[in-house]
Amino acid sequence: MSQDTKKTGVKRREFLKVLGATSAAVAAAGCSEDTGKLIPYLVSPDQTVPGVSSYYATTCRECSAACGLIAETRDGRAIKLEGNPDHPLNRGALCARGQSALQGLYNPDRFRSPMLNDGGTWKPITWDDAIVRLSQGMTQARGGSRAGGGVFINQHESGSFPRLLDGWLAAFGMPPHLSVDFEADAAAIEANRRTYGVAWPALSFTDAKLIISFGADFLDSWGASVPQQLDFADARAKLDGAPRFIYIGPRRSLTGLNADEWIACKPGSELSIANALAGKGSLQQAATDSGVDLAALQSLANELAAAKPALVLSGVTGENALDVALAVAAINQASGAVGVTIKPAQPLTAFEGMANTGQLLGAVERMRGGQVGIAFVRGVNPAYHLPKAANFAEAFLKVPFRVSFSSFPDETTELCNLVIPDLHPLESWGDAEPVRGTIALQQPVMDPVFRTNSKTIPVALGTADVLIQVAKKDAAVAAKYPAADYRSTLIAAFPGGAQALGAALPKGLAAGTRPPRTLAGAPAAAPRAMSIDGAQGDFFLITFPSPLLGDGRGANKPWLQELPDPVTKICWSSWVEIHPETAQRLGIDRGDILEVKTTNGTVRAPAFPYLGVHKDAIAIPLGQGHRAANAIPTFNPMTHTAGEIQWGYGRYARNLGINAFDLLPVGTHAAGGFIWTATKATVTKTGDHETLPSTEGSARQHGRGIAQAINSADLNKPAGGESGEPKEALPGDASHEFLPGLRSPVAADAQGELGAPTAADQGKNKGMYRDDDIRGMAKRRWAMTVDLARCTGCSACITACNAENNVPTVGAFWQNATIFADQKPGLNIARGREMSWIRLERYFEGNPDGKFGQDFETRFVPMLCQHCGNAPCEPVCPVYATYHAPDGLNVQVYNRCVGTRYCSNNCPYKVRYFNWFGYGESDRKQYAFPEPLNWQLNPDVTVRGKGVMEKCSFCVQRIREAENRATLEHRELQPDEFTVACAQGCPSRAITFGDAADPNWTVAQLAHDKRAYHVFEELNTYTAVVYLKKVNHPAAGATAPRA
Amino acid sequence: MTQRRKWTAIPGLLALAIGAAMLSAYSGASSSQHRSPVQPINFPHPVHVQKLGMNCLYCHNAANKSMDPGLPAVATCIGCHNMIGPERPASDLGPKRHSVEIEKLYKFADVAGMGAGMGPNAKPIPWVRIHKVPEYVHFPHTRHVNAGVTCQTCHGQIQKMDRVYQYATLNMGWCVSCHLNGYSPKEGLEAAGYAPQESAPGVANATTAIATGERKKARYDCANCHY
Repeated sequence: MSQDTKKTGVKRREFLKVLGATSAAVAAAGCSEDTGKLIPYLVSPDQTVPGVSSYYATTCRECSAACGLIAETRDGRAIKLEGNPDHPLNRGALCARGQSALQGLYNPDRFRSPMLNDGGTWKPITWDDAIVRLSQGMTQARGGSRAGGGVFINQHESGSFPRLLDGWLAAFGMPPHLSVDFEADAAAIEANRRTYGVAWPALSFTDAKLIISFGADFLDSWGASVPQQLDFADARAKLDGAPRFIYIGPRRSLTGLNADEWIACKPGSELSIANALAGKGSLQQAATDSGVDLAALQSLANELAAAKPALVLSGVTGENALDVALAVAAINQASGAVGVTIKPAQPLTAFEGMANTGQLLGAVERMRGGQVGIAFVRGVNPAYHLPKAANFAEAFLKVPFRVSFSSFPDETTELCNLVIPDLHPLESWGDAEPVRGTIALQQPVMDPVFRTNSKTIPVALGTADVLIQVAKKDAAVAAKYPAADYRSTLIAAFPGGAQALGAALPKGLAAGTRPPRTLAGAPAAAPRAMSIDGAQGDFFLITFPSPLLGDGRGANKPWLQELPDPVTKICWSSWVEIHPETAQRLGIDRGDILEVKTTNGTVRAPAFPYLGVHKDAIAIPLGQGHRAANAIPTFNPMTHTAGEIQWGYGRYARNLGINAFDLLPVGTHAAGGFIWTATKATVTKTGDHETLPSTEGSARQHGRGIAQAINSADLNKPAGGESGEPKEALPGDASHEFLPGLRSPVAADAQGELGAPTAADQGKNKGMYRDDDIRGMAKRRWAMTVDLARCTGCSACITACNAENNVPTVGAFWQNATIFADQKPGLNIARGREMSWIRLERYFEGNPDGKFGQDFETRFVPMLCQHCGNAPCEPVCPVYATYHAPDGLNVQVYNRCVGTRYCSNNCPYKVRYFNWFGYGESDRKQYAFPEPLNWQLNPDVTVRGKGVMEKCSFCVQRIREAENRATLEHRELQPDEFTVACAQGCPSRAITFGDAADPNWTVAQLAHDKRAYHVFEELNTYTAVVYLKKVNHPAAGATAPRA
Repeated sequence: MTQRRKWTAIPGLLALAIGAAMLSAYSGASSSQHRSPVQPINFPHPVHVQKLGMNCLYCHNAANKSMDPGLPAVATCIGCHNMIGPERPASDLGPKRHSVEIEKLYKFADVAGMGAGMGPNAKPIPWVRIHKVPEYVHFPHTRHVNAGVTCQTCHGQIQKMDRVYQYATLNMGWCVSCHLNGYSPKEGLEAAGYAPQESAPGVANATTAIATGERKKARYDCANCHY
């Protein structure tokens, strides 16, 4: 013992006392294990087995198309959406927006009850109270001075609801509602009506010999994107028989990136080109107006003349949109398209009965003039979607009684007096008519998340039910509404009644039509035409709906915010696209904050130099920039209470990015649609800079051979690549084949020493690692092919994977570090800490110096864990948390992982993702699934905690489920019996999954396709993911960029 | 090392070692074997299973179809107990008595009186969970039940337990040892407490057929359960 009394060391006795006390404390605390409670049903629901999913067919309402869904529910909760294979539009596929409907259903900022704005404070009220108030408001409005002045703005939909709504409004003496869809192309619709008599004929890409798009982004949000993408991918999959695709426009959207050729014309000049192609103008004039080479236009015209029938589409968003659409209709007719590539006899009814922006503006003017006594909004957000210049808020506030049926606290709802939230489409009854002659049914797939608590009304109250209840309260109207609820109304209208409806519900489809809604031409505001050339500014300003957020409605869903934009790979942010040549001239680097100013407003956003925008234009996506009208405290997940409404469209959307609508003037073209490409802007550097939250490592391959392509002319040349070189042999003459039972010649543990753990298994008997072992694992080799000729880069696979595998989103501003944290959205992604088991890589080829006027090619590569036979990640894990399974999977055992991250370090594909924070832990700030988002979590997949590495598992839970089902039914697994989440959703059908060791599975045949290659084959990784080369279609005589 | 530092370092390291050992002993990875919590209703398995002959799957009906074994809905209990009220007459199950447990059931299920059925204010019975494997383990009951593993192999002889306790450790080592060594249907029957029955010579019966079966092997790959 030390005699030194100056130093305060620990004395021995005290040390032992502390030791004893600590041990005792630990012992006492560790005694009981809390396993929770088991809560049984009161009455077991029919036809459900606990722990086994039930599937319901319903209709998606995320856009106007109304694709078919199959909702997987488990124990009463919807956990995954798939496309309905029998539905004529989407045929089993589902886009990212459709997948994200679940995050609307379970959105933490959804209204939980009706709300009343009591002098500036929002109070929850009961359903009974809300219906009484609405009913009083209707009676007053009917009798008041503004009688007949009612405005109902509804999210455009097809089916029975619009007619019910019109009937209800008429019963109260009000004009029919305005059915609004901000993404719809009013010019194309009007041109279709005039030319074909229907709003939207069916389009056939597979029957076309040539596809030309004048800014029609049919793979983004123009038209009905899923059926268009399905058909386009099928057309391109014809390889050397595929039609060429030429995109004409000032900005190369995702659709444009899939084109073989881009004609970069000045905004507004599409009309000259279209007229020239239609024979109504000269190519010389077109070349002058557009700034495009005359030679390019000449060869375009020649190609069009030779390829009949062609499919020419118009999606121009400028002032002359209708003229372009009509010129394009003329081109189609001359090309023999009608009846072949354009089928008016099989129309989509998605856009019938739709009001245009002009009519909406007319209603706004009536509000401003004090002629409207009561206004309703449902599912639309005009306070956000109309430019500030329209002064919507000022006009709307003049209406004395304003009711919102929206589920989310958006900008328009904040201006209302009363909120009666609608049920989510996944909780509602309804129907739609996606194509003429087919009724798609909509049914609730679960009980409402937020139970309606009306004491007097026993049914869950969607808007249709609320309208019926209000009607019943009014003596004059009640007789017209005998049915108790909307469901009864639908049954009464369904041919065959309840029994027939019940028989049709499992498939979700029935034959029939709904009478079209007569559009009583609502008066429109006069088209405020403007000439973009006369506007003030240096650059044409192009604004466009984001392919993911749409017109802004997707901004409150973290999956969509986290999904990198397919073109720019930026997420959780706004940006300004500018051509690299222009950026260099102005000294603008990527990430420099620019101030963009028009005569209507100013915004600041980071720059993104992009090859695909005209050198005299800048492009800004729409969809971000949601704001609350009144200041509310910054969101803090640790202190947030359910009653705190996150005005500004919810915690994920609020104060994120900029609203490009602020820059735009209010203008409608001749067809009444909003003019998005309307003005010019000045661009100034502010001197600030930020790192863009982007998942793009590099836009170029730098010779790595990740995304390979072959010209269609070379397809039938002997194997060996474009120039006939022999395929390189792998070192040691190792085989490329997927050998039955063998993962690769070099995977040690899958074969040898570790495969014989007990004495009885020593020697030749390798236990379950034997091909013919009854346990059946070693005879399989799970593998995947990705066809780059089909992949369009839409990113639906990413959202499908996120939904299936409980992958957390990590970009919200509160998900950064707890201390020294920057409260910036997307920071985790900007720091490279992204989380996405599958990512879409986008590589540009050609035009290495970034010159405007030189074309370039784009290649999309879905990159996911390759489940390498000779995986670099497996031998380096110090705790053996990752290893190779006998059936070929590279397995990640989450509970063993201690987070050294050596595996990710070693992975050449960089497909391993680390949980830097507790995204999966509900008591941490960074929790990615705030209640009720956690209801969506798949119970078959572990939710990972902090410090755990995760990656694509080839949906092993689906593999096990299929094997269990086959065993239960005493049979073998059938070829192609099941598939993985990404493959199931893909609207391009680019991904195929299955057992490559069994020749009966499709993947086994595709893996031996002559276009097949492995990424980084030279590293000897023996990947299970085989890519099929993209097929390029250069113009005859031209040379496409080399692979 | 100095004398003083020795007295700090060695007890320090010893403390760490003891602490680590104790922490791991009381961590989640240890077992709750023999744990027998008090349940809201003291449901007697012996009466229902042994005396009345009810099959496990009558109540735990999903065990042969799903990962979950299934828990009987309150309506399953009321299906019989609507007519079997708290006032028990004398029978082969016991003398005339008042059953407190059935009364508790009636309270939960809001049954006004015998024959009245479940009332509008019925509440589910909040059973205390006993058997739980960690969330990163996916245990499929259906594979095991359909492979012929008797319930009692893992859960012990529940038919004899007045109050259910956890019979096995449910540790991974315990699971893997059976997967590696194989499951013997004969041992499974014995675990269930049933001896193979004798029957007339030449007449086969179910239990003798099982009793001669081979050991069933199962997968012991990590990704079989951990995904």
